[in-house]
Amino acid sequence: MLSVAHISKTFGSVKALDDVSFDVHDGEIMGLIGQNGAGKSTTFHSILNFLQFDGQITFNGQPLSADDYNLIGYLPEERSLMPKLTIAQQITYLARLKNQPASVTKPKIAPWMAKFAVKGQPNDKINKLSKGNQQKVQLICTLIHDPQLIILDEPFSGLDPVNADLLKQAILDAKQRGATIIFSSHDMSNVEEICDSLVMLRDGQVVLNGTVDDVREQFGRTRLFLTTDWSLDELAALTGVQKVNPLGAHRYQLLLNDADAGPAIFAAVTQGEYIQEFSQQPPTLDEIFRTEAGGEHVE
Amino acid sequence: MNKTWIVTSETYIRQTKSWSFLMLVLMPFIVFGFSFGMGYLSASQESSNDIAVVSASAPLRQAFIKDSGVSTTKKYATKAAAQKATDHGDITGYLVLNTTKQQQVQATFKGPDSLSSANRAKVQQFLQTVQTQLNIKRAKITTTQQQQLALQPKLTQTVQKKTSTDKSVKFISFYIIAFFVYLILSTYTGIMAQEIAAEKGTKIMEVILSSTTARKYFNGKIYGVLLMILTQALIYFLGGVAGLAFVKNSSAMHAFWQQWSSLIEPVLHNIMSINLLFALAAVLLYTIFAAFCGALVTRVEDASKASQPVIYLNLLALTLGLILRTSPTNIGVTILSYVPFFSSYFMPLRLINHVASFPEAVTSLVILIITIIASMLYIGKIYGGLMLQTDELGFWGNLKRGLHLK
Repeated sequence: MLSVAHISKTFGSVKALDDVSFDVHDGEIMGLIGQNGAGKSTTFHSILNFLQFDGQITFNGQPLSADDYNLIGYLPEERSLMPKLTIAQQITYLARLKNQPASVTKPKIAPWMAKFAVKGQPNDKINKLSKGNQQKVQLICTLIHDPQLIILDEPFSGLDPVNADLLKQAILDAKQRGATIIFSSHDMSNVEEICDSLVMLRDGQVVLNGTVDDVREQFGRTRLFLTTDWSLDELAALTGVQKVNPLGAHRYQLLLNDADAGPAIFAAVTQGEYIQEFSQQPPTLDEIFRTEAGGEHVE
Repeated sequence: MNKTWIVTSETYIRQTKSWSFLMLVLMPFIVFGFSFGMGYLSASQESSNDIAVVSASAPLRQAFIKDSGVSTTKKYATKAAAQKATDHGDITGYLVLNTTKQQQVQATFKGPDSLSSANRAKVQQFLQTVQTQLNIKRAKITTTQQQQLALQPKLTQTVQKKTSTDKSVKFISFYIIAFFVYLILSTYTGIMAQEIAAEKGTKIMEVILSSTTARKYFNGKIYGVLLMILTQALIYFLGGVAGLAFVKNSSAMHAFWQQWSSLIEPVLHNIMSINLLFALAAVLLYTIFAAFCGALVTRVEDASKASQPVIYLNLLALTLGLILRTSPTNIGVTILSYVPFFSSYFMPLRLINHVASFPEAVTSLVILIITIIASMLYIGKIYGGLMLQTDELGFWGNLKRGLHLK
């Protein structure tokens, strides 16, 4: 388990992290979200001991030391490989630095390349690969030594939906074998899809922390999706309705002032009859991100 | 496996397999081999510098070929054949030797160019000897008279050969050491600074520093380059020993060795001494600071600029060394012979000129080694901060930020 407890970091007069705390358990995927400059990368750099910070970070109950580097798989935000090396040389070298001998790494290269559908041969030079394939090779470098703690900084950035799915599957496989996984992303759909928990940072402070469902639920089921013959004006006039957004033919999203207004609206709209759709939901992570990460409030 | 060793072996293998390193190591052998090969080939072919000798008197012709010391060929014994060979450029010309009825020896040279001054003197000397013999024979003088006439004034010159050779030895030794150190430093500082800057520029350092400590990585890089330097030195040493053995034992090079051994041997002695340790230590110190400069660059495109500060410092040290070469007792030379970055030029300069004692050289070397160790420790400590500082702040801005990034 990774435990981040009350860490703070200041660069000059800028407080990059302010009393940040969270835990990520074994076999858990945590999404670290926040706007650019919120402190995500600084959090990662602190976990990796790139920076000196106040507070404590432990992994399996012990402060992370150089001995634990072999257990870590890290994908930085900026993609980086040695362009003059071949794919095999690059992967083998970085795996050796994780204490995985070349004799163990080499047989694993081809299966991993197949898993990520890398177009090329192990002996191809890195600089001959497309940007997308280079990104996949870097992901292989991050995961090929079966790390126990996986830190991925914007791993989905630049990946098309097909390759994003390949990465998601690799992350889920790592979760399956018990790895602790933490990744940052601006795409809330990815977070919502594979994360067990999330932490949202704003100006270096934790503003949201919990499981994805808990975080959403804490904003109340204030989104009501409705398919009805009622007009927009009729819906807007209902008690407890703050705003009506038309979504298509006879389909609307109602923003409620209070989740408790749902049953009364259900009764009014259905009149005891069947209707095609009535779904009361909490705000999506994307909506929460757009408002909370920027310091506003969810309506 | 020790991660420092992993970085060392990776750096060493990657760099020594590069074409630039192979060319760097092999170039002196290629140049030497090419020069020797060309010289050997031209020497083995019919020399166009030979001259033919034509004479009605066979003994006179034979005597000239045997005793004159002029490079000749026996191939062409007639005027027609010699003229034809001259026209074809096979020989530089031909000499026609005759003796008149008055027993005067005459020689006529025919060729597109006049005789070289050396050959002219040799021909003159030969003619003089033959003429004297003819004169003595014709005058019918006694042995005593003959001896008296043979008496020549005596000019004695005491040429202090050792001093002049010694000057040449000092001059050549210093130039070889200075330019060897300069070239090796320029090469390795360039390799190191560009390697580090490229890695920093590609941002792979974050991945590497999530695998090992900055100090281990930095030390591994330095050890890798140190192994390259030692490899190059070993290849040069073995090549030099083999080359020397060849020159000493080759019949083709025998005359060359006879002529130049008194110069070559002391020069080699000057190089294969404590001066070599100064050269190796300098390469290490400059390489460490090249790595430091490489860490101050933030973009891959600037990798080539990374080594400039160290290269300029090296150039300054070389220039000062060349300027002060003739003043080994100058106080500036004495001071600089103890200053790291400069001592590898100036202490060898003093040692070659016998104005520094062995303890002084050891003291300077110890200062240099302490500086190397201190630099490795300090730069290793701040290296992580330097390598992770990727904002565009310029050289000094990056340095300032890197030093404070903890």
